[in-house]
Amino acid sequence: MYLSSFTFIVVLLPIILVSYYLIPTKGKNGLLLFWSMIVYGWGNPFRLLYPAACVFFDYGIGLVLERMQNRKKISTIILAFSALIQIIAMTLIRTMVQEREGFLFPFGIAVYTLQGLGYLIGIYRRRHMASVKFLNVALYIFMFPVIYAGPLMTYLEYQEQLEKRPCNIMQLSKGLQLFIRGLAEKVILADTFGYIFRELRQAGQMSMLTAWLTTLSFSMYLYFELLGYTEMARGLGKCFGFQFPKNFSHPFFTSSITAFLQSWNVTLLLWFQTNFRYFLFRNFERKWQRYLFLILTWAFIGAWYGLKIQFIIWGIFMGILVSIEQLTGLDKNFIEENSGRKGYVFGLIYTAILQQFLFVLLFAKNLTEAGTIWKAMLSFGNGIADQTGFYFFTSYIALLLLGLYIAADLFQNITERIAVTEIGQKLFICEPLVYGLLFLFCLASMLYGERMTELWLKI
Amino acid sequence: MKQKKLHYSIVFVILLIDLTLGIGTIKSYDKTALMRPTLQHFFNGTWAEQTEKYLQEHIGFHDVLFRIKSNADLFIGEKMIQGVYVTDEMLLEKLYASDIPDIVTAAEPVNQFYEETQIPTYFILVPSASEIYKTKLPANAINAEQKNRIQQIYLETVNGVHCIDAYNILSSLKDNYIYYRTDTRWTCCGAYYVYQSAIQKMGFTPVSYQKFVISHMSTEFRGNLYEKTLYNGVRADVLDRYRNESSGQITSITAYYADGQTEDRGNRLYDTTALIGDDKYQYYLGKPCQKLIIHTNIENGKKLLLYKDSFADCVVPFLIHHYSEICIVNLEQTGEDFHHVVDTSEYTQALFLCSMKNWGNLFA
Repeated sequence: MYLSSFTFIVVLLPIILVSYYLIPTKGKNGLLLFWSMIVYGWGNPFRLLYPAACVFFDYGIGLVLERMQNRKKISTIILAFSALIQIIAMTLIRTMVQEREGFLFPFGIAVYTLQGLGYLIGIYRRRHMASVKFLNVALYIFMFPVIYAGPLMTYLEYQEQLEKRPCNIMQLSKGLQLFIRGLAEKVILADTFGYIFRELRQAGQMSMLTAWLTTLSFSMYLYFELLGYTEMARGLGKCFGFQFPKNFSHPFFTSSITAFLQSWNVTLLLWFQTNFRYFLFRNFERKWQRYLFLILTWAFIGAWYGLKIQFIIWGIFMGILVSIEQLTGLDKNFIEENSGRKGYVFGLIYTAILQQFLFVLLFAKNLTEAGTIWKAMLSFGNGIADQTGFYFFTSYIALLLLGLYIAADLFQNITERIAVTEIGQKLFICEPLVYGLLFLFCLASMLYGERMTELWLKI
Repeated sequence: MKQKKLHYSIVFVILLIDLTLGIGTIKSYDKTALMRPTLQHFFNGTWAEQTEKYLQEHIGFHDVLFRIKSNADLFIGEKMIQGVYVTDEMLLEKLYASDIPDIVTAAEPVNQFYEETQIPTYFILVPSASEIYKTKLPANAINAEQKNRIQQIYLETVNGVHCIDAYNILSSLKDNYIYYRTDTRWTCCGAYYVYQSAIQKMGFTPVSYQKFVISHMSTEFRGNLYEKTLYNGVRADVLDRYRNESSGQITSITAYYADGQTEDRGNRLYDTTALIGDDKYQYYLGKPCQKLIIHTNIENGKKLLLYKDSFADCVVPFLIHHYSEICIVNLEQTGEDFHHVVDTSEYTQALFLCSMKNWGNLFA
């Protein structure tokens, strides 16, 4: 079941919250695992088989690794072997099941595979001990808000929270606020951008305007979809007393590709940096080797998004661009402090254009189609604007601007600035009303139209 | 302290909304609803989807929530609700290129039928209101072109299939009340004019307009587009009845349902109970069935086989003045194997009457 469904929000969420707050502290972790299983296996308990196998596997291997700590060679072999098994299993399931029967697909598989691997690597590197408590490992790998799209965490951060975490009305209220903000990002913004995107894709020949609108609506859709899901996860986590890290920090409106990638899906990049790099980068001192592995990392991140050639090419392009930027020092050139406003604005434009171009790879069916879209974006061959593009431009310009405004940190700035003023302090009384209305509007949006019933990214 | 109160009230508001919706949903629980999830869904793995779909349509305060969202959309500049263009005068359904029939394959069912049976066959494709009232659509609105497509499909028919151009008839009568404002279908008036020219081609003299006594059966008809959009800004429609006592009276009607049941409907074509029900349009031909056989007191030996979608419902009252027997086959229920529903050998003429969208969906 998806977090943005009526089944979850209207039926299960109140029950989950009430039961969680009523049960004594001892039982809270067990209860969370129970609800995770219900939410994940809703209507199809067989889906639970694979993640359950993962949890048992990682728990067992974790204990073995702990034992073998002093025998580095053997533990390396065990780690490599178990990582290989999990990656192969994940790849097979993602390529085979997803095409045939959507409902059998164990969604979130890429997320909990990485969590599990992170746990094993952490033990191997002696960052933390293997947990004797099965419940802790199970919850770390398989807790329902997180399995959809992250955020990814290391076991080290998680460990303490699993044992002791605050559980009071303030947490609950802050958590619900965050959840509603995430829900709004998902169902009000992402779903509408997704709708525009699908409608535009149906237009036959693309004019320049249509091509740009398509990529723009797609990038906004993808951003708000992922952001919405992680914010909902963070919100729910907060309701249960957890403190999850942020996954995005306003990636649009950055002045270099490096900065863009550093604020896009942060926890994923961090995972790759701490775990993947640890094995590969450490041993390479030369510069070209570093860059090669930078590109490789991004290719892996691309593959993590989806096992398609376009995604991997997207990753490789990203890696190459970052390498070029770092080689030439471009990423530092465009920061406002270094080169003044002019350089900063130039950096903004250059990054925005490049990132839009590369997003095409993430939605095109194949490379030839990506080529035609790029051509339409660059040339006047099919005209500057056509009817389709014009209709959606005039209908949704307000929403697109709103989306951009929220995607930039402007929205956050303004709320923060109001909050510190005297009137702002008084306005806080309206908060329940504002969140109530926003929640109602989210529910209204959920009724509407053909929503994307499944995540576009099958992670 | 103040902060704490605020936190309590936020939690309270949100749980209250959830609870109200939940209670509303339980109260409006509908045992007969189509979407109702059952055990069967559980076993074929679609249970989660099914419960979600059910909740989406039957959540408490559904209509209020829906109007909040659709009005917000109209406010920011969208001119469409759920694939229906909203204008001041009428609701117009948007047709995608994939909705309208393909040039090459669209004529095939009719050609095949004619070649197998050799019954003189007539073919009418009705364009959608959004094509006739193109000029009323919002600026730059996208809508599949149908005028040329109908012509091209007609060109693909074999000799012996007579095509009747409904587009030109309807578009010349644009200023009349020929399509419902809140429904995709045409009114009796629109149907009459197409009947008038079709029946001439089929070898009869049409009953003239003056001979009909027109009575408004309902002035509160809100059709399928209203159901889809729940938009109140367009006036409700009028359901008319065209009465002509001078010729052709029905003697018997028998309905055959897809599950094998039959029903004797006496000599009453119109179903007045539908006027107080949910779907007022059923007034014209009663509850939809797979096959409906109508006998009249005309003894000219002419028998008509009518393959139709719901557009033809209001044409039937005109046709009964010319035939001794009409067999109506509902294409929406039979789909592609409409051949096997009737023994065609008894009939002297066949008429295919369908809207572009339905034809496209049925014979894609």
